[in-house]
Order: sequence, then C-alpha cells, then structure tokens
Amino acid sequence: MSSNLRSGSSFRDPSGFLFARGGILYRQVNHSYRPTYDRLIDSGLYHELVDAGELIPHDVARVAPAEPRLASLVLQPERLTFVSYPYEWSFSQLKDAALLTLTLQKRAVARGLCLKDASAYNIQFHQGRPLLIDSLSFDVWKEGVPWVAYRQFCQHFLAPLALMARVDVRLGLMLRLYIDGLPLDLTGRLLPGSTRLQPGLLTHVHLHAASQRRFAGTAPASHTSARMSRNALLGLIDSLESTVRGLTWSPGGTDWADYESTHNYSPAALEHKRHLVAGYLAKVRPSLTWDLGANVGTFSRLAAEAGSATIAFDVDPSAVELHYRRCRSEGESRVLPLLLDLTNPSPAQGWDHAERLSLAERGPADAVMALALVHHLAIANNVPLALLAETFAGYGRALIVEFVPKSDPQVQRLLASREDIFPDYTVEGFERAFRSTHRIRSEDKIEDTDRILFWMEKR
Amino acid sequence: MMLLSESARMILVAPPAYLDPGSGSFLLQLLLAGILGGAFIVRSQWTRIKAFFRRLFRRGSSSEEHEQ
Repeated sequence: MSSNLRSGSSFRDPSGFLFARGGILYRQVNHSYRPTYDRLIDSGLYHELVDAGELIPHDVARVAPAEPRLASLVLQPERLTFVSYPYEWSFSQLKDAALLTLTLQKRAVARGLCLKDASAYNIQFHQGRPLLIDSLSFDVWKEGVPWVAYRQFCQHFLAPLALMARVDVRLGLMLRLYIDGLPLDLTGRLLPGSTRLQPGLLTHVHLHAASQRRFAGTAPASHTSARMSRNALLGLIDSLESTVRGLTWSPGGTDWADYESTHNYSPAALEHKRHLVAGYLAKVRPSLTWDLGANVGTFSRLAAEAGSATIAFDVDPSAVELHYRRCRSEGESRVLPLLLDLTNPSPAQGWDHAERLSLAERGPADAVMALALVHHLAIANNVPLALLAETFAGYGRALIVEFVPKSDPQVQRLLASREDIFPDYTVEGFERAFRSTHRIRSEDKIEDTDRILFWMEKR
Repeated sequence: MMLLSESARMILVAPPAYLDPGSGSFLLQLLLAGILGGAFIVRSQWTRIKAFFRRLFRRGSSSEEHEQ
C-alpha cells in the first residue's frame, strides 16, 4: 500500500485537505463539504471559472481517500509546475492576483455562492496567468451576512499593495513576516497621512483597523441590526476593486532595471552568448529551468523556446516587474518571473515549518542557469566558490554558469570600493571548486569579452 | 428589538466558516452596508440615471421654447 503524505499547508479548513500519493497530488473532499461542492458544480460556477482560466481544473479521482472516515470524494487537480508565494511576486503579480480574487467573488455571488476565504496563497501563477487552486474555497451565499473573507482580502492583498504603491515596493516582503497577511493597524501607521483622504484606503485600511480595535472580542450581533444586502456586498467588492485598481507602481530607481540597455556586452558578444546558451539548452532539454539572476528575462526566453517551463528569479523588484509585464503583454506563458534574494532565499515557514516551502524544497529543477551572477555572489557577498557549487548542485541537475573574471569591468566596479580578499577568484579556482560537485561538459569563451560560459552536469 | 434578533439570527445561521471573520471586519461592513449598497445601485444604474436627467433637461428646455 502506498503511503499518503498530507500537505503541511492544508489543515485549517475542515472541508478537505491535500495529500500526495505516488508523486500525485490529490484533494480529499470531506462529507461536511459535499453539498457545497455539488452546488459549485451544479450551479455551473465550476465550468464558468475553469473555462475562463480562473480556477484550476480537476478530475474526480477513483482512488482511496487518505482519511476514509471523513471522505466523500477525492479530486485530482491539474498539476502546477511550480508553487510560488506572494512574497515572491512583483507588484503587478500581487495586483493581478487581488483582482482575480474579486472577480471570483463576483462570479460566485452571481450564482448564489461566495468565496469563504481570500488567501493570496490560494492563487498560483499557472501557464502565465493567476488562478485559484483551492476548489474548496466556495460557500453557499446567504443574503444578509457580510463577507467572511473581507479581513483576509485586506490583509493579504490590499495592505501590501497599498504599502508597495504608496511607501516602498520592498515592503511587499513584509508578507514573509506575517503569514496571514499584514496587520491593518500596522499598515495604517506605515502609510502616509494622505491615504486618509482616499475613500478606498480610508475605509478598507484606516477605518477597518479602527473598527478592529474598537470591536475586538465582541459579538457582532450585539452592536447592530444592519444586514448586508446583495447590493451592499456587490458595492463592497466594487469599492475594493476600484481601490486596488487605483494603486499603481512603476519601476525605476532601483539598481538594475536598466541593466539590459547599459550592460557591457557588444552586440557580437551578446549574440555569441545567446548562441552558446541555446546550444547547451538544446543538449540538456530541460522540462523545468531555474534562471537565477534572470534580470528582465533575455535568457529565460531561450529556455522557454527550448521547451522548458522557466522560473526566472531576480533580486530586483523593478526587473521582476518589467519581466512580468513583458510576459503578460506578449502572452509568454512558459516563463514565471519571481522575486528572490539568493543570499537569503525564501525559507520554510508557517506551522511546523511546513506551510510554506523553502526554495530548495521546491526543487530540484532539470537545469539551473546562473548567467552574469557568480561575481555578485562571490565578490559582493563573499560566498566561497565551493559553497556556490554545492548550492547550485542542490538546485538542479544541469548547470549553465558564466564566470566573470576580475579583469571584467563589472567585477572591477565591485572591487573598486573594497579590498580584494579573493585570491581564488580565477578561472582555475572556479573550475577547481565546481569539479567537486559537477562534471564540466563544455567550456566556451564569450567572444569580445573575458567571460567564460560553462555547461556542467551534477556528479 | 425585532431587528436586532433578526440580525442575530442571520449571523447565527450563517454557514459555519472556518475563517474568523473578525468582529471589527464584520461590523465595518454592516455599518457601511447602506453606503456601499447605495453606491452600487447608483453605479450600476448610472446610464439610466444620466438618461433620466437628460430627458428631464430636454423636456425643460423644449417647454421653455414653447413658452416663447
């Protein structure tokens, strides 16, 4: 009998849970939720959302449930290539996920249902678009009752978007600290006073926080006789939607956004580098590639063109934002740009460190690309080359890596303000460090530069 | 008193939510329900409201013309 591995992030909702068996992910639907699940299907909402690409499709699986005592049904959802988290999304990714959540709520209400949660973690980017991955997120809507997930929506989406747009885009990373979204009182204190003049932010952040303070620990029924009519609920969704749409942020001012136009490759060198990388990819034939330090995705695109789903990580919020907008406008569904600081990658967190997976736990990929990156890690961050080799080996089987020597102007720039304490930072030192973990399959100097490209395979 | 018990009943028979909606978040929605609902009606009926006033003005100006 194969064993069941219950997902560490799937324990809050008694409607059901995720479990893995034989490498396949299933979702058990419990008896208590079965009538609502039937309503989702019978109302036509499931098909409407799946056809619109807004809900993950699933099949009813003819397999034994993980907990037969509770089980009514087992679903097999379509497989995701990669699970990403809101603290890894750019501003527009979080905004698109927020708008999708409100669209789902509107469509649900139109069919007599509603969203019973509005967690940003229930949204995933799949084939270039955000979609809801939790088919058990719906409930039967009862007129008169306020939206149960209003607080969660404001904490998971509105608060971080407001801080990113009105204070600093890097505050999106606060989602990493607060697993159930940003506290609204804290958000209110961090936002500029002028946000009190905007009706949407005044209502959903400032007044919302004040209301939470005022009514903490009391029963709602003892305070008001008001009911939430259908129009009031639709008005609430409308108001949230226009508030979210009103929040905008455009890249600029951070380090590398203009990197592509100002980097020091000649057209011939760039063309040669492209040619070499495409050649390695054709031999590796990865189905999943992690492009580390992808910037705006010039080389991620090559991996996608080689037929690989590609996760394009970069530390610069501007680069990730530009890359996402580009993928979205060009309909590039194979590349997922994400924000990641490799010197402090996303950790395992939440209850028992099992709710949100670390970056390493979400690997390995078939291929890892690290182009124009090693000098930033080895020199700007003092990571020894041997450690770098070990980490890259953990991330994927094949490695396409660029060595940028000390003679390169980019490295000169990094060394200009500090002492050179890196005697081993040479091609020989680099090869020596990587040979303990990798087999070098190809080594090519990029024309017009001193840089060297390597294709390696993990030992 | 009637209204209060009706409201209490509505909340008691609400589907069992696994998420704590938070009293403050629940009450804010109820307190703003009138404004939100009104705004929604105005917005969704906006074309009809505009058409109504346009007709009203047209009628007004045409009756003025008659008076002349």
